[in-house]
Amino acid sequence: MKWSGYKNLEELTEHDDATLDLLKRRLGVAGLVIIIFGTLIFARLWFLQIYKGDEYRNRADNNRVRMREIAPPRGNILDSKGRQMVTNRPSFNVVLVREDSNDVDQLLKKLATALDIDISLLWEKLRDASGKPRHIPVRLLEDVDWQTLAYVENHNQRFPGIRIEAVPSRVYHYENLAAHAIGYLGAISKKELAARDTSIYAGGDLIGKMGLERLHEADLRGEKGSSSSEVDARGFEQQLLKDVEPLPGNDIQLTLDAELQKVAEDLMEAGDKAGAVVAMEVKTGRMLVLASNPVLPLNQFVGGISHKNWNALLDNSKHPLINKVVQAMYPPGSTYKMMTAMAGLATGVITPDTVFYCPGYYTFGKRRYHCWKHSGHGAVNLKRAISESCDVYFYQVGLRVGVDNLAKYANKFGLGHKSGIDMEHEKSGLTPTKAWKQKRHGQKWQDGETLSVAIGQGFNLVTPLQICLMTATIANGGIQYLPQVIEKVTDPEGKILKEFEPVVVDELKNEKQFLPLIRNGMEEVIQGSRGTARKVRIKGITIGGKTGTAQVVRLKQYKHLKEEDIPYKYRDHAWFTCYAPAEDPQIAITVLVEHGLHGGSNAGPVARALLETYFAEHLQRLADAEEEEKKNE
Amino acid sequence: MFRIDRRYFKNFDWVLLALLLGVASMALTNLYSASYPPAPYGIPPFIKQCYLFLFGMMSILFILFFDYRELHFWNYPFYIIIIILLLLVLFAGNSAGGAQRWINLGFFKLQPSELAKLMMVVTLASYYSRKEQNEGYGIRDMVTPVLLTLLPFLLILKQPDLGTALMLGIVFVSMTVFAKVRWQTYGLGIILGSGCAVFAWFYLLRDYQKRRIETLLNPAKDPMGQGYQILQSKIAVGSGGVSGKGYLEGTQGHLHFLPERHTDFAFSVWGEEWGFAGSLFFLGVYFSMLFWGLYAAMTARDRFGVFLSFGVVMLIFWQAVINLLMILGFLPVVGIPLPLVSYGGSSLLTTLLAIGILMNVRMRRFQSGQNAEKMN
Repeated sequence: MKWSGYKNLEELTEHDDATLDLLKRRLGVAGLVIIIFGTLIFARLWFLQIYKGDEYRNRADNNRVRMREIAPPRGNILDSKGRQMVTNRPSFNVVLVREDSNDVDQLLKKLATALDIDISLLWEKLRDASGKPRHIPVRLLEDVDWQTLAYVENHNQRFPGIRIEAVPSRVYHYENLAAHAIGYLGAISKKELAARDTSIYAGGDLIGKMGLERLHEADLRGEKGSSSSEVDARGFEQQLLKDVEPLPGNDIQLTLDAELQKVAEDLMEAGDKAGAVVAMEVKTGRMLVLASNPVLPLNQFVGGISHKNWNALLDNSKHPLINKVVQAMYPPGSTYKMMTAMAGLATGVITPDTVFYCPGYYTFGKRRYHCWKHSGHGAVNLKRAISESCDVYFYQVGLRVGVDNLAKYANKFGLGHKSGIDMEHEKSGLTPTKAWKQKRHGQKWQDGETLSVAIGQGFNLVTPLQICLMTATIANGGIQYLPQVIEKVTDPEGKILKEFEPVVVDELKNEKQFLPLIRNGMEEVIQGSRGTARKVRIKGITIGGKTGTAQVVRLKQYKHLKEEDIPYKYRDHAWFTCYAPAEDPQIAITVLVEHGLHGGSNAGPVARALLETYFAEHLQRLADAEEEEKKNE
Repeated sequence: MFRIDRRYFKNFDWVLLALLLGVASMALTNLYSASYPPAPYGIPPFIKQCYLFLFGMMSILFILFFDYRELHFWNYPFYIIIIILLLLVLFAGNSAGGAQRWINLGFFKLQPSELAKLMMVVTLASYYSRKEQNEGYGIRDMVTPVLLTLLPFLLILKQPDLGTALMLGIVFVSMTVFAKVRWQTYGLGIILGSGCAVFAWFYLLRDYQKRRIETLLNPAKDPMGQGYQILQSKIAVGSGGVSGKGYLEGTQGHLHFLPERHTDFAFSVWGEEWGFAGSLFFLGVYFSMLFWGLYAAMTARDRFGVFLSFGVVMLIFWQAVINLLMILGFLPVVGIPLPLVSYGGSSLLTTLLAIGILMNVRMRRFQSGQNAEKMN
């Protein structure tokens, strides 16, 4: 050991006891240092584990427990016969939980490459959700196909933070049938979210945007379930802790008859017609058909409508976005003549036998008011006036009754005010009065205007629903029912929560007695040899009805043109309204064809087809009986 | 050299062995949980650590046959071997996570910087015990120990391994202060030291090292990055509460919220699963072991023995304190393990060898000289 400079261990470790003790005394200081740090660690442990223990326990639970909402299946929508119109199917969304991903940029890049999608789309979704807490899933892709679903599920280790979310999605069994009445769903907007209970709704939820889906949101939506599970630091679920099943929404059965509705819509569609078809049970107020054409493409709204499709709807000259049953107003045209007749009879101005002479025009003041039949009807009583729609007759009745009385009786039949049907943005229509004109235009009422009103033109405005309501009220003997669309609401267990019950809005008193007279005229419209709607006649059913033509504009330049040469948007609207069977009316049907020119020829056949469908059994029985008779002979 | 003496057996420090086994058994128990569930491939860390522990215990047995004073002779050869190993690491080492710290021996990845810590203790103990200065060491006396420390310090810093390099510095300061230096020496040391620190901040520290220090000062600034580890560790320990969540029931650890849970943050797992009570018990045993080490220094028969024991205790103590303060959110994440508890072969072996030296000093406390005579 020479290299170390010492000979042996003893020499090396020679020492003086005094200095050794001095050195050892300093060990006390070291002990003190250890105690100080030990105490510091002890205090810190006490602070973290005892003083803040509960707080940190909560934070540990927040770390590991992830609660996920489960969207409830929305209530189904059925027709009056129990046929499924709108139900649900499972659809799958790709969602991102930002908290579970440590590199969102990289993750989205990988995902976009793997699924071959535009990354800017994903960025946009992420930007929209920037204000939300990081543990709330952000929907990146909605309603993905099976390939995407399988790929993401199989490679979930590659995409920490990406998850598949199963949500119920709407299925429309009859495609766009009754689209305006049923409506559609969409992602809840910020404004809608702000107005609603945040314990029920969260961003990204679907909510009814239109129609019954919107009006009966509370019934249909159901209650969300939740699933709490333990997740690891990368967001992968380890085990299920708690599961609360979602409660499905209530089913709604409509009074609508899908079959009738389909007949109406198909016929309108086939003729490329824009307009509305309304059918109602005369003695209850049940709505059987509520069709507005062109229909809304409901499937385009599933998962959010594209800008292109939306703009196409907006730009369509036939206005598919407007529910023409209640949201569009037209002059009632000749269908209003029943009201004029009613007002005349009720005020005693005319009797059924009162005769006016029609030379083809009526001169009032300095102006000559033409009858639609320029050659004139000759001597006309009430029945003929209605069946042949003589304008001159009704000019004179209107003039004698006065515009205020016309409005008064029209109101009793449901015109001039909202019906109260369960539909959005219902228009009230307009039954003009002197006071109304003074208020609205600041002008005195001109008696000449009464002439126009008496034949359903002028200021008069109605919705197709109102005309149907009027027809039903005439047919049922003067009871104005509330038009209703919901037959019953049932909860998931089958318990009936709400059931249809007829509601009487208004009822005629003494005036009832005049209704048979009016119905007589209306039946003559169809059954009579000179009626304006002879084409609608069905063998075996007695029908009462009335045609109408609503002037759009009266422009001189088009006056001499043939009808088909007039530009579409300047053509008159065609009305046809009817009830059947005349002996004991069950159904009232109103058809409006926008720019359809003639009620009898354009609107009538739609009503006829509906009646044939509605009375199919009855007609079949008749046909069978006839055949039987033939055989016997 | 071999002096088998029955007195050695009689003087063997059974208390120290009991304390060591106590700490080690808790540490291994904890390691099982911290690396649970076992990975499907390779030897689980728990098993590896058990083997290494047994190997370490046999090494202790082996070195007990030699008189610790012979380290005086072997000190410089060892020193040179370690420096060569450190150089080897720089040129041919295995790298992981941006640092080059290991030499792959096939069956074992050796981290020479861990051994360097112990070597530093031995070297300084040898130096200070041979060069006695009752008035305290002057500036000129400090040249040799400073250079001896600076060489491995810089080599380790280059890897880079800030934590271990810092440990060398701390060991140096502790032992030098214990050896007693003059006031002028302190003054110069402080001036030079702070100068170096400023220089290091601007020129030597890597960005990630600076960020760690900044994160400590304001952990909320970056909850998903650097502050994440400290925050999750605090949540783990804090959520343990009074009695803990139960063995193998810790959610922070088992669901991977806790980073490095079987290495640097192993004690977080213990704190979470055994709570305040368990933590106190563990630290009680651990600190008893350290105090017993100081007692070993107190009873050492010579100056070398005192320095050696003191150095070993300080080596373990400072690592433990820094690791615990980091886990409890008082210090930045510097990568210093909790000796005996954190997974890591080189650290475990070094610590066991260090405790072996303590046992050696204890065993030979009455060997000869005045102490022995006193006892007789």
